[in-house]
Amino acid sequence: MKKDNKTKSSPDMRFIIQKFSVPLMFIIICAICIPLSGLSANMLINEIVTRMGRNAFLILSLLIPIMAGMGLNFGMTLGAMAAEIALIFVADWQIVGIPGMVLAAIVSVPISVLLGIFCGKILNEAKGREMITSYIMSFFVNGIYQLVVLYLMGSIIPIKHGAIKLPRGYGIRNTVSLLSMRQKLDNLLAINIGGVKIPVLTFIIIALLCLFIVWFSKTKLGQDMRAVGQDMDVARDAGINVERTRIISIVMSTVLAGFGMIIYLQNMGNIATYSAHSQIGMFCIAALLVGGASVDRATIGNVFLGVILFHTMFIVAPKAGAAITGDSMIGEYFRVFVSYAVITVALIMYETNKRRAKKTAGQQLAEAQKAEEAGAAAGTTQADNAGKEKA
Amino acid sequence: MKDKRRLLFRIAAIVIILAVAAVMFVIGRGHTIYFDNKETSYNGQTVEPFHKVVVTVGDQKPSKLAKGDRGMGEVMGQKLTMTVEITDEEGGTPHAHKVSMNIPYSMDGITINIPALMAGLPQEAYLSEFVIEVPDEGATDEEIVTDEFDMGGDM
Repeated sequence: MKKDNKTKSSPDMRFIIQKFSVPLMFIIICAICIPLSGLSANMLINEIVTRMGRNAFLILSLLIPIMAGMGLNFGMTLGAMAAEIALIFVADWQIVGIPGMVLAAIVSVPISVLLGIFCGKILNEAKGREMITSYIMSFFVNGIYQLVVLYLMGSIIPIKHGAIKLPRGYGIRNTVSLLSMRQKLDNLLAINIGGVKIPVLTFIIIALLCLFIVWFSKTKLGQDMRAVGQDMDVARDAGINVERTRIISIVMSTVLAGFGMIIYLQNMGNIATYSAHSQIGMFCIAALLVGGASVDRATIGNVFLGVILFHTMFIVAPKAGAAITGDSMIGEYFRVFVSYAVITVALIMYETNKRRAKKTAGQQLAEAQKAEEAGAAAGTTQADNAGKEKA
Repeated sequence: MKDKRRLLFRIAAIVIILAVAAVMFVIGRGHTIYFDNKETSYNGQTVEPFHKVVVTVGDQKPSKLAKGDRGMGEVMGQKLTMTVEITDEEGGTPHAHKVSMNIPYSMDGITINIPALMAGLPQEAYLSEFVIEVPDEGATDEEIVTDEFDMGGDM
């Protein structure tokens, strides 16, 4: 009996380690780096809570395309760009505080929807290669964004304020100040527990999005997305409009990414006009993967675990790097290297598992066919023998 | 029938969103208010500055103004409510006044001359637009930095 338990538990353990290898690796990294960094527990918790409020909404926006089988949506950058354009307008119109954020969210929606439809249509033409397509598309749309922000704003699109416009009279400055809405959302209803500031309202909004995602996955459209994610052909045979469902998932992700970017930027207090969005997709995807998600499966739990582990590494790595090597840049390089590495490893693992599953399915099918043929042959011999006996 | 109802719901949703946007435009309009405790003249009438004025807008830090000083505050919306605490002469007892006024939507920066306001002069005497002069960086335009392939920043 004991032996049975042992043999049963060891593959389970291996499965758990394999499944949670990335989070476990990050837990080990953080466990080593935290004491080396010399940061106090209070400061570390404060930073993690701030970063959770800042990033969780953005990362949650990645869940819906994963549900629809479209992988990690690098195209969330499009939503971030829409949000930045909306915030530039709002800053120029001098709408401040929470109303400014609400207005930016409303203005960002049509831009996000248009970009999402465009992205979804292209991804429908590139089924099975959604991630690389959305990644390249984010560069393409970044080019259009730069054209709009650098040349059209101020010349064709009216921008009034000199503090936003470049001195030449058109184009937007490298940095747009959002001081008038800086941390307005975070500070409203904020509470302080043992020196740790908790941005309650931001967390309420994140919690509402979590509830929305849970509710949405149980709706007809959510179920359709799951069906499409599992097998497009079967879903199509079941009467689901696969292409439309996929476009809706990308549109929803883009719009939510836009809202997330507004929350992110109000926390930062300024927009790096030409670079704020370029890193967002990569960091959010890395954080989600660190939380134990994969290309085809991600949960809300993965989001929060990912934010905690990834950002703990982000906070402590430079200081730990400085403590070990005497150069904080080593820590900076380390965290960038880890971000890229975790995405690469996750993609390799996904592809390997997919091929393995395909191979196993093929082998099972071949064995089933063999067994069927053997069964049929045995049946024929038996029938022959019976006939002979009768005769 | 079902399609018509759906269309109606969609139109209603858009109308509600636009209405919310319009409300945000009005209630969220930010103004920077500059308070002057300076001498001013209107129609030949000269108003002298107070010895000391303390202006408090909402829960912001009070602006303490001596003769000839200028203070600043931020206002959201079109209504300015402030407390003005005036000391007429050195060693005098300060007397506080609560002042409310509507401010024009179109102005980003507004200068209010406190002595003219307290003297009961008309709006054009105490209220004027403050235009921020953005320093012209001359022929050298700001260099635009884009980093599409960089991931070196923090988040």
